[in-house]
Amino acid sequence: MTMDAQTASDRKRNMRRLSPTELKRPKESLRDRMSIILRSRVAIIGLVIVLFWVWVAIFAPVISVHDPLAQDATAINQGPSAQYLLGTDALGRDVLARLAYGSRTILMLAPLSVLAAVIVGTFLGLVGGYFGGLVDEIVMRILDAIMAFPTILLYLIIIAAIGPSAINVVIAITFVGAPGVARLVRSLALDIRVRDYIRAAELRGESPWYIMFFEILPNARGPLIIDSMLRVGYAIFAIGTLGFLGLGLPPPTPDWGGMISAARKYIWTNPLSVLWPALAISSLVVGLNLFADGLREESTRYQ
Amino acid sequence: MLVKDYMTRHPLMAAPDMSLVEAQRFMGQNNIRHLPVVGDGKRLLGLVTRQSLLIDPGRLGSLNVWEIAGVLSGLKVKDVMIKAPNVITVSQDITIEEAARVMVERRIGCLPVVQDDVLVGIITEVDLLAHLMEMMATRHPGIRVTVRMPDVRGELAKLVAAIAAQGWGILACGGVAAPKAAGKWDAAVLKMRDVTREEVIAALSQVEGHEIIDIRDA
Amino acid sequence: MQQSHKPQTPILDVRDLAISYETRYGDVPAVRDVSFDIQRGEAHSIVGESGCGKSTVAFGIVNFLGRNGRIVNGQILFQGQDLVGRSPEELRQVRGDRIAMVYQDPMQALNPSMRIGDQMAEVLVVHRMMPRARALDYCVTMLKRVQMPDPENVIRRYPHQLSGGQQQRVVIGMALLNDPALLIMDEPTTALDVTVEATVLDLISTLQREFDTAIMYISHNLGVVARVSSKVAVMYAGEIVERAAVSDVYLSPYHPYTQGLMRCVPRLGQSKRESFLYPIRGRVPSPKNLPPGCIFEPRCDYARDLCRQRRPELRPIKLGHWGRCHFAEEIVQMGWQPPEDFVAQYTAERSVDAAARPLLKVTHAQTFYPVASQKLIGGKKQFVRAVDDVSIEVRKGETLGIVGESGCGKSTLVKTIVGMEKPTSGDFEFMGFDIAMPVSKRKLELIQELQMVFQNPDSTLNPSFSVGYQIGRPLRRFQTVPRGQVEGEVMRLLDMMKLGGRYYNRLPRQLSGGEKQRVGIARAIAGRPEVVLCDEPVSALDVSVQAAVLNLLLEIQKEIDTTMIFIAHDLSVVRFFCDNIAVMYLGQIAEIGPAEAIYAPPYHPYTEALLSAVPIPDPRAEQKHIRLEGAVPSALNPPSGCRFHTRCPRKIGKICETETPPWRDAGNGHRIFCHIPLAELRQMDPVVTVRPGNRLGRQHA
Repeated sequence: MTMDAQTASDRKRNMRRLSPTELKRPKESLRDRMSIILRSRVAIIGLVIVLFWVWVAIFAPVISVHDPLAQDATAINQGPSAQYLLGTDALGRDVLARLAYGSRTILMLAPLSVLAAVIVGTFLGLVGGYFGGLVDEIVMRILDAIMAFPTILLYLIIIAAIGPSAINVVIAITFVGAPGVARLVRSLALDIRVRDYIRAAELRGESPWYIMFFEILPNARGPLIIDSMLRVGYAIFAIGTLGFLGLGLPPPTPDWGGMISAARKYIWTNPLSVLWPALAISSLVVGLNLFADGLREESTRYQ
Repeated sequence: MLVKDYMTRHPLMAAPDMSLVEAQRFMGQNNIRHLPVVGDGKRLLGLVTRQSLLIDPGRLGSLNVWEIAGVLSGLKVKDVMIKAPNVITVSQDITIEEAARVMVERRIGCLPVVQDDVLVGIITEVDLLAHLMEMMATRHPGIRVTVRMPDVRGELAKLVAAIAAQGWGILACGGVAAPKAAGKWDAAVLKMRDVTREEVIAALSQVEGHEIIDIRDA
Repeated sequence: MQQSHKPQTPILDVRDLAISYETRYGDVPAVRDVSFDIQRGEAHSIVGESGCGKSTVAFGIVNFLGRNGRIVNGQILFQGQDLVGRSPEELRQVRGDRIAMVYQDPMQALNPSMRIGDQMAEVLVVHRMMPRARALDYCVTMLKRVQMPDPENVIRRYPHQLSGGQQQRVVIGMALLNDPALLIMDEPTTALDVTVEATVLDLISTLQREFDTAIMYISHNLGVVARVSSKVAVMYAGEIVERAAVSDVYLSPYHPYTQGLMRCVPRLGQSKRESFLYPIRGRVPSPKNLPPGCIFEPRCDYARDLCRQRRPELRPIKLGHWGRCHFAEEIVQMGWQPPEDFVAQYTAERSVDAAARPLLKVTHAQTFYPVASQKLIGGKKQFVRAVDDVSIEVRKGETLGIVGESGCGKSTLVKTIVGMEKPTSGDFEFMGFDIAMPVSKRKLELIQELQMVFQNPDSTLNPSFSVGYQIGRPLRRFQTVPRGQVEGEVMRLLDMMKLGGRYYNRLPRQLSGGEKQRVGIARAIAGRPEVVLCDEPVSALDVSVQAAVLNLLLEIQKEIDTTMIFIAHDLSVVRFFCDNIAVMYLGQIAEIGPAEAIYAPPYHPYTEALLSAVPIPDPRAEQKHIRLEGAVPSALNPPSGCRFHTRCPRKIGKICETETPPWRDAGNGHRIFCHIPLAELRQMDPVVTVRPGNRLGRQHA
């Protein structure tokens, strides 16, 4: 960001002073970061699984020959066949197509809701952690109260109150996830706020908001990113659960949780139609978890 | 003048599983004649001496060359050492002459010093000789004189008084019953600094019944 | 006792030791070609700057190298037996019974949830199968031997209930329980205050004689080494560069690095006016990227072609004095003269106008921290009286040093001045404005004039932003220069810090400790403040880096005429750097005055004790032996009368306990807070006397 701000003449003068090895430095650090990921086998496996689903979501129309909503009355509850690679469900819809389009919804909703939770949680955590005292006390007690509820109950209450829809699912997950993020950010902020560079900022008369978002937040990003990645996994789980309970996306939108719920009735006649979406959810969650774990392990290894 | 002041603290020691060959080399390299063997917590398990390293010929008599090599290489320190209950040890709080008595009576050259079964040091005849040397102030130059006097109370005091009258100090002093003259006592060494032979002879000849039987610069 | 007839086998004989660490970037040779021996009952030091491999050697000996470290070459003969290549079981036995180690932080060695007696006795009960009651008795005896007051009581306490010095005594006592032949001490006094350090060093010397234990003492502090050991090995970048008796190394060092180190440390009693520090240029080579010839060649003033081509061996230069330099004899013959421009640059006189109005004036300042009452209900609110009735004045261009041990309130005083703490009472006047308020309530113009340099180089910079941005931020904030010129100004500041423009885009993690500290200084002076407050700015740095940073501060002061308040616990550094000095004890000033007056009689008894405790890196220096008893009392409930009376070796009677002492004015602004009449104080002998003798290139040309 500093380079951008420089005037052309300054930059020229600067370039003259930079030795070739110095210029290479930022690139090296990027390669360093990539090498951290590549070094961990666990992270690579996780990444491959996640990328697979991302690929599926992007190329859903190509992968699926059939419309996910089209019903084929002649092929109800069928097993895999040449026409329907993964079989059909009780309404004669192509499972593969619904799976592919379902991944789109889930890969949209989960990160979106986590992003919202992280924004809200970070804000609350920073405020509590940096100001401390009474502000911290109030914020934290409210969050504690939310966290005291079993999560599933909380989802049910929220969705029951505001009704099932994509946006409401996001709201519910944000509401449930934010306190956890806030706690994490607060503990990081408590640690960071006693560092000397925060003292230095205060002695420059910086505003609390500058200190929170420019001095503290950037240094909390590492753990926050890893935590968010795990949270995306939980969110996928939550969306699946809500779908299964019929509180997710209203039918006929393809939704993995909903698919399991619908196929459950026919589990004896067509067990595969339950298995596919279940497998999809678990593989995506496991993939995200592996990736986050691998990252965390590698980044803390040689310290 | 206690054992703890004269013993060697932190002596070289061996574990019971050290091979005999290695122990031999270890003692040779470090020029020691006694090697205490210790277990966990430096508890004394035994003692290896030069003697223990000699193998009893009777044990090997019936074996052929190859078997002898096998036996030798398999021997461990714990197989040849004098085992703990049989090792004569002393405590570090006894006097140095007491340690000397034990060594003379038992005709041994080395005493491991233990406390609660734990080896804290080792005292050898060399340490005792060093002690003798120190007692006699061997390292400090001076006049060493042996005076023979009657074995009667107060005689030594007379001698000391004569020296004190000259304003001299005594570096070292020791006495024994005269070896070949009954009823006499040899104040074997009176060592004095910064005096001449003649001055000493002149001063001590004043003392009645005392006879200088040896005087030298040392 | 004569030792000559004892066996000659050294307790420890390290030969050609090389240790490598496996890292992401391949094997890093941390220690190479290290050889030394320690005789029985001898104290041998290893001294060197951070990262030179001194601790690695110790860890190699006890085989604590961790998963990624290993010994790649050499022998470690302990009492005649090689430790390298032994089975872990054999090593465990030898280590447990015959080698003990003491670390810097005593809390690392103590179990916080066990009573002192229990954890000490455990060693004996488990290891020697001693009955518990006997073991406890034995522990009490041992605590007595390490001069622990009230040992019967101490064994029933938990570690956190002891002071740092006492904890370290317990750890040393524990280490000696097994009567080890070798005691390895890794910076055992670095975390302690100077008066406590002095008592622990005394203890170490006593124990070494009493137990006939060989000591391997690792330290970065040349003064401590001179006090505690008879021989010393100087390590640099993983190799021993010089090894000899302490007096030889300190009085006539052969290796250019050792010589350089000696020139980097300010001597106690020398000031910036009559001496200077000559830092070693450049920085320690990374073990990944060593020069092909002599490892010190890139930083050496005497380097020649041979030095670049061939690595020197550690060779005997004279009897008992080993050095790793091709030209040691010549270098010593040549003598050393500092470059002339260097002398001119650092010794030019700066005058402070003594008659000027004080820039900063603090009168009767008090800063109290409330503490929650121990009782559940009721109970009066208590206060930690961190700063209690302190008055100081600082004139323009002057440097005021504040010294004192940890907890004396020096940091709180400075924090109150800059507005990080709220004063409880007192007048704070700065440039004619009242500043008795937290920084958030001050005007930006006022904030700009008071800036601070921090102690810890690792936390002084925000790891997320580039150096250039962080120096530029105050420029933008205070609008010191027009917006368009900020980058140019940052470049100028970087040049002034001798860093150069290529540091502009670096992140803090790409900098060394000294470089980070320079950036911190640049950030502080960017807004062109009137007063810069330095909170121990060099105490976390190695001596060679410390010298460079101190020189830099001197230069800045000369160039922009900054007024400074300089906190430190190192009395030599303060004496060197400051014009006036305030000695603080338990929230109050004990003595204040011109620097040279503080270091000569009359002294406050506390100053006298402090000065006699400072380890001096000169074997010829003789110090009075004054040791303070007990610990610093709690600031929650400070002693009545004179606060120092509980530990004062010169206490004159009841009056010290009951009445607040008067200020004794010794003239020229030198004031002493003591009941002892001035005439009597004047009769004290100087604490430090140096036997005459030639020093290598320390004096002025």
